Amino acid sequence: MIREPYSISIRELNEAGADNIPQELIPATQLIYSSPATLAFNSPGATGFGVKRAGLAVPDSVMLLVAPGCCGRNTKLLSEIQGYEDRFFFLLMDESDIVNGDHLARVPDAVREVVDYLDVKPSVVMICATCVDALLGTDWDRVCRKAEEISGVPVRPCYMYALTREGRKPPMVLVRKAVYSLLEPARRDPRTVNILGYFSPLTDDCELYDLLRQAGVRKINEISRCGDYESYLGMSKANFNIVLNHEARTAADDLAKRLNIPYLELTRLYQTDKIANQYNAFAGSIGASFDDSVYRERAERTVSEFRDRFGSISITVGEMLNANAFELSLALVKYGFRVPEIYSNVSREDYVYIRHLAEISPETRLFTNLSPTMLCYDCSRSDADLTIGKDAEYYHPDCPNVPWNEEKQPFGYSGVTKLFEKMTEALA
Amino acid sequence: MSVKGLHKIIYPFAPDQSGAAAVLYELGCMIIICDAGGCAGNVCGFDEPRWLRTKSAVFSAGLRDMDAILGRDDLMIEKIVRASDKIDAKFVAIIGTPVPATIATDYKALRRMAEKRIGLPVITVDSNGALWYDSGIEKTYLECFSRFASDAAAGEVIPRSAGVIGVTPLDSDSLTAGKRITDDLTASGTEKVICYGAGSSFEDFADAARMEKNIVVAASGLKAARYLRDRFGTPYECSDPLIEDIRRGIPLSTEDLEGKKILIIHQQVRANALREVLLKEAAGLRDKPQITAATWFMLDDELSEDGDLRIREESDFFELIGNGSWDIIIADGSFRRAAGDFGGKFIDLPHFAVSGHFAGEESVRFYT
Repeated sequence: MIREPYSISIRELNEAGADNIPQELIPATQLIYSSPATLAFNSPGATGFGVKRAGLAVPDSVMLLVAPGCCGRNTKLLSEIQGYEDRFFFLLMDESDIVNGDHLARVPDAVREVVDYLDVKPSVVMICATCVDALLGTDWDRVCRKAEEISGVPVRPCYMYALTREGRKPPMVLVRKAVYSLLEPARRDPRTVNILGYFSPLTDDCELYDLLRQAGVRKINEISRCGDYESYLGMSKANFNIVLNHEARTAADDLAKRLNIPYLELTRLYQTDKIANQYNAFAGSIGASFDDSVYRERAERTVSEFRDRFGSISITVGEMLNANAFELSLALVKYGFRVPEIYSNVSREDYVYIRHLAEISPETRLFTNLSPTMLCYDCSRSDADLTIGKDAEYYHPDCPNVPWNEEKQPFGYSGVTKLFEKMTEALA
Repeated sequence: MSVKGLHKIIYPFAPDQSGAAAVLYELGCMIIICDAGGCAGNVCGFDEPRWLRTKSAVFSAGLRDMDAILGRDDLMIEKIVRASDKIDAKFVAIIGTPVPATIATDYKALRRMAEKRIGLPVITVDSNGALWYDSGIEKTYLECFSRFASDAAAGEVIPRSAGVIGVTPLDSDSLTAGKRITDDLTASGTEKVICYGAGSSFEDFADAARMEKNIVVAASGLKAARYLRDRFGTPYECSDPLIEDIRRGIPLSTEDLEGKKILIIHQQVRANALREVLLKEAAGLRDKPQITAATWFMLDDELSEDGDLRIREESDFFELIGNGSWDIIIADGSFRRAAGDFGGKFIDLPHFAVSGHFAGEESVRFYT
């Protein structure tokens, strides 16, 4: 039925440069293939922590999705996750609402009805708005103010505007801002720090907690570890914020402006030497020093044991995972493995890794999850021994796989250690 | 009085674009969901259980805000042209979502422009995401038959043949429904069975005039069956060939039916078929059961009995359950919670378009 899937070598991609990314890799120029990865990232409410689930990160919050029925359909999945069963409500638009916006007049009463229906008043009602209101140009701040007056609880908008995914402030950026928008100025505690970026916590064994304690931090806040609304409000006291995901930068900027909390950014990496450099720089910037040697040694030992046991195997890497596909591939090649194929979207920011990867693994081929031609991807042409990422598993259903997309977030040396442990389990 | 459109417990059902895609999924066409990404994600990741098992060219148009605001249909058509150069497709189907509905896309013009540029037949389905799946199925069947059914085939009716309209996973109890229907009809003497939308091909739609009769298994297939009757004289009947299977899954003995007030909630043809089977069983009982069929979806007057009803709002559902003094409710299990303190017997009758689950928890979804 089809001919060949589009792919490009890392060498060619690097030679083209960040200013000349091939058209086949640019989402706006083509139809988008329904691969697992595009289903996840192109559909802002679909899976994992999309806008809907992320919007409920505030403890004791509920969500009113204001949309045509189709936008709420897959929310059924979230209702099957513990802790979300009773937190979603829907105000469904009919055909005329889509055109004339009549649904907006019903929002305040709907919010009040939801609040009255609940046994316990929610901390906030998040209004999840969708493409229709993006096109109607709805002023949600105004609608939410009115709903707040009538219901007596805070009401905040979060924008599931898939249409703006490649805009300046895409949905996953704005929802991060929304979930911290209830924080009010408070007296700062120099020994308190917030970690921003994810909607689930770092893995319990992540060394970042210990390193912060070494630096004298006594309280480390993550929104997902806030058991109740009071704890959440306690995030206002942080001395500084650590941003672990660039999509939280807008939220951090907002907190810096409104609450005067400065922030710094750390990147999730799988190259142990780069992790060490990053921690050194971080310690310097806060006037502390870290001893990370135990964690680094453990991570490097795990990598070397894996390599001794399984050899220089061939690993394909997807993008539906807790890593940057290019950085992880670079790390794997540096550790002595082969990465014949990567399945990923590409952005300018990825070139910092692509440049290095082109030097040591120029023939690695990049396939894009977006391309309609991926319909004809033939796994028999690839020699993968292991795949990493849920999307990579889709292309190689019979190959051992590490999904590496668990909710608890890997970071730093402990992430490297855990990844190689999982890789060992998959191949054992 | 509840706010119109407010759902506090019942989650939205499969939308019309999912119904449209369900009919087209196996026809070897390029399916373009005219959306920003979320609707295609919902179709493939949730409402289309075949997506995990069988590849099909389902694409998102990848619309962005300025595409919609400026009405850049030409840009979307260019994308389709580029994809069609690389993919062999028999035709192209453009399926609507809330985005084109909001900006009032002219589907006729879109179809004409696309056919001219692509050189393949193009159909459009003006689904809008605010209607349920059955509306999308109805429109798509009608569009496919009206565009592809060939007059040349009329007059060459295949003896003992039957077309089955309305078999999609959304109305079925499992992915094997099409095959089971085919097997059942074959066992009872039908020599050629075409289940449109399940195991059928594009060419089968072209040959629709050759069917001796059509069997409508879901109300969403009625309009297409009537169209084929009017155009080719093909008679149709409404029945549910799987109803004996379904009955076996209902844990009620004939004695359990005596004098009971029973509510069946499903799509109309299945609800009717189950009522008929139960009433037949109860024919010998002294105190016959009273059985009402209700549906959230299409309710065709010709198929309705007195008292049958269509549920439109969640508050209507609460009222129906609360004031009906039912002894037994037979409905998708996801309605159990909404039935609140209903004290009678609640029996699960899975409906994929409602809960996204088949009977017996077959694993059919990518999103978990």
